[in-house]
Amino acid sequence: MAMPILEARSLRKSFGSGSTQVKVLCGASLSVAPGEFVVIMGASGSGKSTMLHLLGALDTPDSGSVSYRGESVFDGSRSKQGAYRNREVGFVFQFYHLLPELNVLENVMLPALVSNSFWAWRKTRVSARQNALEMLDRVGLIDRVKHRPNELSGGEQQRVAISRALVHKPALLLADEPTGNLDATTGSGILNLLAEFSEAGQTMILVTHDASVASRADRTLTLVEGVIREAGAPTAVEHKSEPQKPEVVL
Amino acid sequence: MYKWFLAWRYLRTKMIAFFGIASVMLCVAMVLVVMSVMGGFLDTVRDRSRGLHSEIIIDNRSMQGFPYYEEFSRFIENRLPEVIRLTTPSIWTYGLFRIPATNFTVSARVQGIHLDDYVQLNDFKRGLHYERYFPGTTTFKPQGMPVVGIGENGVMTLPPDLAAANALWRSNETDAAAIEAFDRLPFERALLPRVRPFVPAERVFAVDVGEAGYRGSKRPGIIVGCDLLNIRRSDGNFDRVYARGTDVALTLIPLSPAGNPNRQPAARLALRYVDDSRSGIYEIDSMSVYVDADMLQRELAMDAQPLAGGGFTKPRVNQLLVGLHEGVDMNEAKALIADAWREFYLSLGPGLTMDDERALAMMEVSTWEDLQRPFIQAVEKEKVLVTILFSLISMVAIVLVGCIFYMIVEKKTRDIGILKAIGASGRGVAVLFVSYAGAVGVLGSILGIALGSFFVWNINDIQDFLASLDPQLRVWSPDIYSFDRIPEVVKRADAIWIGLIAVFASMVGSLIPAFVAARVWPVQALRYE
Repeated sequence: MAMPILEARSLRKSFGSGSTQVKVLCGASLSVAPGEFVVIMGASGSGKSTMLHLLGALDTPDSGSVSYRGESVFDGSRSKQGAYRNREVGFVFQFYHLLPELNVLENVMLPALVSNSFWAWRKTRVSARQNALEMLDRVGLIDRVKHRPNELSGGEQQRVAISRALVHKPALLLADEPTGNLDATTGSGILNLLAEFSEAGQTMILVTHDASVASRADRTLTLVEGVIREAGAPTAVEHKSEPQKPEVVL
Repeated sequence: MYKWFLAWRYLRTKMIAFFGIASVMLCVAMVLVVMSVMGGFLDTVRDRSRGLHSEIIIDNRSMQGFPYYEEFSRFIENRLPEVIRLTTPSIWTYGLFRIPATNFTVSARVQGIHLDDYVQLNDFKRGLHYERYFPGTTTFKPQGMPVVGIGENGVMTLPPDLAAANALWRSNETDAAAIEAFDRLPFERALLPRVRPFVPAERVFAVDVGEAGYRGSKRPGIIVGCDLLNIRRSDGNFDRVYARGTDVALTLIPLSPAGNPNRQPAARLALRYVDDSRSGIYEIDSMSVYVDADMLQRELAMDAQPLAGGGFTKPRVNQLLVGLHEGVDMNEAKALIADAWREFYLSLGPGLTMDDERALAMMEVSTWEDLQRPFIQAVEKEKVLVTILFSLISMVAIVLVGCIFYMIVEKKTRDIGILKAIGASGRGVAVLFVSYAGAVGVLGSILGIALGSFFVWNINDIQDFLASLDPQLRVWSPDIYSFDRIPEVVKRADAIWIGLIAVFASMVGSLIPAFVAARVWPVQALRYE
C-alpha cells in the first residue's frame, strides 16, 4: 500500500457523561491511500458519521489522532483545522446542506468565497466562477445555475453538494450517506457519479449502511462496537487516469 | 469574502432583518428629531437673544432707573474710543395699550428707545414689517395716518413718500420672490379707515377715495410687537387687523426717583401705530411696544424734574446700551467699562442725593450673554437631558438587534455548520453576523436620518395638520416655548454622529449572538435541525 494520505489511530469518542455516557468509538483506526475509494459500513448508530466527522475535523476525538499526509490534524489551531477543511477536504452530506439563500452557482462557489479575502476575491472571482461552471457542467446542472436549492430535486441537490465538495479539487472527499435520502434510482445515479470521480483518481471515504454501495469501493470497512474491521480483502489501488467528465444519467 | 457576500444576501432575503432595520430607523429618527429640535431651540435662543440686545448693557435692574447716564456715556466714549462704537439710553416700564377704534386693551411692556441708534445695536430693524417694504418711513416722529387713494379710474396710489420708499426697496431688493410677495399683498381688501376692521385679513394701509396722503392729527409713532396686535396664521405669517397709522392710546404710571407712583395722574399718550416688530420670541412679541425714549422719559417724569428746594433732579433711564467696535472682545470690553464705571462713580463725590446714591450703588455692567445665561444654560441642560433620555430609550434598539440576531443565529445554526465544514473560521462567522448587523445599522441609520430629517423639515406643517384634526394635538405652543415656530434645521454633523453611533450600537447588539455562532462546533451545527 502507498503512503497513506489519511491515517486515524485509536480514535475514541463518547457522548454524554456519567450513567448516560455512550461510547461510540472505542479505538477506531484506519489508513487510506491516495486515490483509494473506501466505504465504511455499519449499522445505524454504530458511529460511522462520527468517524467521518473526526476524519474531516468537524469534531474532536476524546483521544486518538488523525494525520493528514503525516501531519496531525488536531494539533493545530482551529483556524488550521478550518484551512484543512477548506483546502484538503470536501464534504457531502446525507441532507445536502446547501445554503437556501444562494443559488446553485453561488453554493458551488462557496469554498472559493470562504478561502478568499475581500481583496483577493477581486482577482480570483472569474476563475472561481469558471471552475464552478465547469463542475456543474460535469454533473449535468449547467442549465440550473440560477436556481435556488428548493427548486431542485433531491438528486439534483446532491449533485450540487458533490460539485461544491469537489470544485476546489480537494485531496479527500468525505461522503456521509450520500444516497441515504434518495430513492434507489437517484441514489444509484449519485453513486455512479462518485464512482466516476473515483475512477478519475479522487480519494474518497464514504459511510453507508447500504451493502450495495460497498461493491463499488476499492475497500470496505465495517464499524462494529466502535472499532473498524476489514470487511474483505482490499482491492489493489490501480493507477487511475486523469479525471474525465462522467456520463451521468439520474 | 463570504462574510460580506452572505451578510448582504441575508439582508436582502431575511424578513426578520427588516424589523431590525425598522427599529434602528425609528431610534435614529427619534434621536435626530429630538437633537435637531432642541439644538435648534438652543441656537434660536442664542441668536434671538443676541439680536435683542446690545453687546454691553449697563443698568441697575430697577424700574425707576438711574441718573448721570449722559455724563457716563460721554465719559466712556472719551475714555474708550477704540472699544465703544455707540451708546444709547433705553427706558422700560409697563402700561395699558389700547386701540380706541375697537376698544382692544392689553397690558404691555413699553420700551423707550432712540430708534436710529437702537437699530445699529441689534437686529431690531430686521424684524420691522413696514420698514422692510418702505425703508426709512418707520419713525417715532408725529405723523398722520397714511391713506391709499383711489382715483376715479379705480387706481390706488400710495402717498408720495411711501411710493418713493417702496420704489427704493424694489430697486435694492435682490429677492424677486419678496417683491412678488409684496405685490400680492391685498391692498384692495383693506377697509376704509372709518369702518371698524373686525374681519381678520392681511391689511397694509387704510384706503379712501380721493388723493393719497395723510389723514388725522399728527401723533408720535409706536412700534408694536407683532403678536400683540396681529393674528398669527398657521403658516407663521400674520393677518394685520389694523392698518398702518391706526390710533393707539397708551396709559403709563410714572414713578418717583424712589420708585413710588407719582401723585400726578397716569400719563395718557395718543400715538399712531407705525410698524410692528417681530423678534421671534413670543414673550417679547406678544407684550412689547416701542416708543421714543425722550417722549417716554418725559411722560414717566424721568427727565429733569424741579426740586422743592430749588434746582432739578438728574434725568434717569433704565439702561445704557453699548455697542462695540467690530473685533472687540465682549468680556474684555465689559471689564474695561466696569472699571470706567467705578472711576466715574467715585468721581461723582459726596454730593449725590440719597435716591441717586441708592440707584447708582446697584449698577451693573453685563454682556448680553450674562443677561441670558440662566435661560441659555437651562435650555442647554434641557437639551443634554432630553438627548440622554432618548438615547437611553434607543438602547432598546441595541437589545432588539441582539434579540433579532440571536434568533437569526438560532435559525442559521445549520448554515453556520455548513460554512465551518467548508472551512470558515469561528472569527469569520462572527464577522459575518457583526457585518450583517452593521449592514442593518447602516440601512436603518440612512432611513432613520431620512425620516428624521423629513420630519424636522416639515415639523410645523405636521403639527398644523395634526392640529387641524384635533386642536389638542398642537404640542408646540409659542406662549410656552417662546418661539413662534418649531426649529426646522437638521445639522449635518448631528445626523452623521447619530448614524455612526447607531451602526456601532447595532454591531454591539449582535456581538453576543456572533460570539455564540463563532463558538459552535461544525458538527453540532450540522446535527442541529
